[in-house]
Amino acid sequence: MKKNPIILTIAFMIFMAMMIIGGCATPAHISAKSGAQLWGEACGRCHNTASPSTFSDVDWDIAVKHMQFRAQITEDEANKIVEFLKSAN
Amino acid sequence: MRQFLLGFLAVLSAPLLAQTTDSSFSPKPGNSRYMIRGYADANFIAGEGEISFGNARLVPLFIYKQSDRLLFEGELELEIEDGEVKMALEYANFYYQLTPRMTVRMGKILVPFGTFFDRLHPSWINKLPTVPLGYGHDGLLPTSDLGIEVRGGAYLAGMRTNYSVYLTNGPRINDGEEEADEIGMIVPEADIDNNKNKAFGGRFGLFPFADQSLELGFSAQSAKLGDKGSDFEDIGAFLYSFDWTLVKTLPALGGRIDLRGQLNFVNIDNRPYEVLEDGSLETFDFDNKSKTAFYQLAYRPTFGNQFVQNLELVGRYSTLTTPEEAPWESQSTQWTLGLNYWVDWRTAIKIALQSDEVEGGHDSPGLTKTDLFFIQWTIGF
Ligand code: HEC
Repeated sequence: MKKNPIILTIAFMIFMAMMIIGGCATPAHISAKSGAQLWGEACGRCHNTASPSTFSDVDWDIAVKHMQFRAQITEDEANKIVEFLKSAN
Repeated sequence: MRQFLLGFLAVLSAPLLAQTTDSSFSPKPGNSRYMIRGYADANFIAGEGEISFGNARLVPLFIYKQSDRLLFEGELELEIEDGEVKMALEYANFYYQLTPRMTVRMGKILVPFGTFFDRLHPSWINKLPTVPLGYGHDGLLPTSDLGIEVRGGAYLAGMRTNYSVYLTNGPRINDGEEEADEIGMIVPEADIDNNKNKAFGGRFGLFPFADQSLELGFSAQSAKLGDKGSDFEDIGAFLYSFDWTLVKTLPALGGRIDLRGQLNFVNIDNRPYEVLEDGSLETFDFDNKSKTAFYQLAYRPTFGNQFVQNLELVGRYSTLTTPEEAPWESQSTQWTLGLNYWVDWRTAIKIALQSDEVEGGHDSPGLTKTDLFFIQWTIGF
């Protein structure tokens, strides 16, 4: 019993390190997605989605940066989403 | 306290005012910005001989984006408890973007153990007026703690993933000194750090489908619980959890499905616990393992008129099992059924019925059943 957690923890660590160092390139099917599509897919996972007209450009800049960090979205995805929101508000 | 609160509100509103004047006078906004957001709710509870306007909460969230890389977020929770205003710091942390897919955060952070607390606890996001078993009173799962975390989104074998690894002050153990019946319980909120050992943990999430509709997560945390120099110094805990989220519009069902859940295991090192109860020394020897889970399904129609589309039906089943032979041994199950009306994307009126069944427990042994009715009005702003 005592060893289990340690082994699991180490396995978890190695896996994480692989994730972080690996930094695989964005797969083509994902980089092909538009800002609107990413917004539809990524922004409704935790809460209802706000329509683009909810906020001004400046407020979207802050809210999407906030969500990039909170919701673990990559910067590329966040940039596309914020461009879409600013073009549609 | 009152002066303090007034002062606090003045401080909060200053940037708001500054922001309005700023934008009207300078058409080209710079890139460092304040934002005040947050949420509030009002609650009504009936049942078990009680009919009352329960808690009212104001939860201001303060966000400052200093640049495209550096951001601060802090959230306070103001609520009325036993006739007094109680204030808590839910979180207050800095973020710094190290690479486009990796961010470090430090301060008082929402611990990414599973998804409920980190992502769903604000009342405009939580689809029910209550939280699942395992959180709140006698909670055993991590919620927010002082620490440091590295987190981000990444790709693995063509699949979208997310990860986080953290070090926090970590949980403590109840030594039974104040309440002998609670000896051996984990205390997730370590406001005061009691030892040099830090809790170490993380979460890994995977999106098996390209449309990100399904997310599967695994979290783990390992920590030493005891106070330095105490009998409990070497007691360790290993916690792990599985979570799942499926959010999808299904034309065949005429609506949007939101399926979520989390299965948690809390394993604490075994050893006999000795405690002084009513003048005599009692020994409790039990296998210190607990588990708790919730399963939730919500459905929001996409057919019909606007009124129908604003409705949402929610059901949640939650369980909590604490160790056999522990003085706090118990088995609890909870059903919560809710109907929500969404006035907009983050304003809702929620009504819910909750039925609890607890067998055992240190408060009142035997079987207790409780049925409660809730109305909650919530707004995110
Ligand atoms: C992983 C879950 C999650 C995802 C995915 C997510 N959000 Fe959020 N969002 C939250 C939480 C949690 C809050 C509430 C913050 C609080 O009060 O602590 C929030 C708050 C917000 C707010 C209110 C203002 C603020 O910044 O707090 C806006 C606007 C918002 N989200 C927009 C978005 C957009 C746009 C996306 C897609 C890029 C998104 N969200 C994706 C969890 C999420």
